[in-house]
Amino acid sequence: MTGQAFFVLTALADGPRHGYGIVGEVAELSQGRVKLKIGSLYGVLDRLASAGLIEPDREEAHDGRLRRYYRLTRDGRGALAEEAELRAATARVVRARLARPGPQAAG
Amino acid sequence: MSGEPLLEQRYRRVLRLLPGYYRERWEEDMVAAFLDSWLTGDPYTDECVLEFCKPAWQEVASVVLLAARLYLGGAGAPRRYFAWGQAVRFTMLALLMVHAVRGLDGLRLVFLERGLHPLGSVPAPPAAMAPMPGIAWPAGVWYLAGYAWIVIFVALVLGHYRAARVLAVMAAVIDLVWLAQGQLTGALLSPYGSWAFWILCDLVPVLAMAAFHRDAPPVTRRPWLLALPANYLLVAVPELAATATGHQAWVPDLPGLSCILVAVLCLAHAPKALSGRASGSVWSLTLVLLAAVAAAYRIISLGDHLQGHYLQDPHLIAVGLAELVTLIAAVALITPDAGRAQTAMPAPPAQPQPG
Repeated sequence: MTGQAFFVLTALADGPRHGYGIVGEVAELSQGRVKLKIGSLYGVLDRLASAGLIEPDREEAHDGRLRRYYRLTRDGRGALAEEAELRAATARVVRARLARPGPQAAG
Repeated sequence: MSGEPLLEQRYRRVLRLLPGYYRERWEEDMVAAFLDSWLTGDPYTDECVLEFCKPAWQEVASVVLLAARLYLGGAGAPRRYFAWGQAVRFTMLALLMVHAVRGLDGLRLVFLERGLHPLGSVPAPPAAMAPMPGIAWPAGVWYLAGYAWIVIFVALVLGHYRAARVLAVMAAVIDLVWLAQGQLTGALLSPYGSWAFWILCDLVPVLAMAAFHRDAPPVTRRPWLLALPANYLLVAVPELAATATGHQAWVPDLPGLSCILVAVLCLAHAPKALSGRASGSVWSLTLVLLAAVAAAYRIISLGDHLQGHYLQDPHLIAVGLAELVTLIAAVALITPDAGRAQTAMPAPPAQPQPG
């Protein structure tokens, strides 16, 4: 799973969001490191929807325009949990290695 | 559309780059999200934004990249776009193989210079392969760029797309600098042919590497890896042998050789294409694309003969035209099947990778 897909799924973990809502949430979650462009966002949403990990939730009118909200599917929630566990396990390994006494870093 | 704010109209124009099926599904959503990203809630500011602002180039670039991935489809794409994606991927591999064969020939030259060549007395390399006189850049850099194409080809076949892309950009830039230097110093023997080669075999593959995206099915390794040495043995070695035995006049130039090879491949594929058994294969479409590249290369490089840059022999123009006609006749046999391949090929793998 790419970093972008991981952040998009995470942005939907606590409830449905519309396109620009996801962009804002991803920026916040990543502390500004991931700034999704609309073309990139919908590339990711299309893949996630094709893989059955997200689905449309509802449509709401806003300024005369319809905003479509997306939510995680059960598979999406499972895939996100799996990916989060994988990343956490990797982080634990890294922290354990860094905690070991080793050669001093240069510089 | 006329009632829409100008910013929206501009963004919708950009979205026209996307395939119809995709726009049908996502366009309204994308427009809404795009406008949300601009609007502030202040009526005066929003009016100015909607009237005067334009989509940022990063937004346009993200749509262009998305369009490239969709048109050159992979897993889960509609058949038509999957067929185009596969044909472009095969065409790029074939073009990179041309480069890689030249790289192998460069290696041969190194062995030759060091006296390690098994044939020992093979004559000096063709002028087009040799570093140009009067150019300040060390010849080693140019040779290294030549060898890099072997690595790029193998990396692409093995699925290391990012590494192949980075190396290809670097090699193409070195080739470009080399060409530009040659152009400025007047050392280029065949400027039309050299520039055509750079555009068709450096620039186009670098751009078309977008076809090797996450959804692209993996390249079938063995046939492509075997094709490289086979290509060298079947094409470059006979060419060298003809040169070594004094029959250089019978060796076509690279554009001519490209036309002849693609024509032979078209003729070999024609019985299958004409019988309808090839429907569902993407090879007809691939050969049509390769024929277009070979024909463009031949036509542009004829400029060198017309301008008297290279081998001033009027017969070479007639030979070049004959090669072109042969190619067109051969490709005409498989073109109808190439059209059918877009709809008749088997469904692509169903599930793209998430993300």
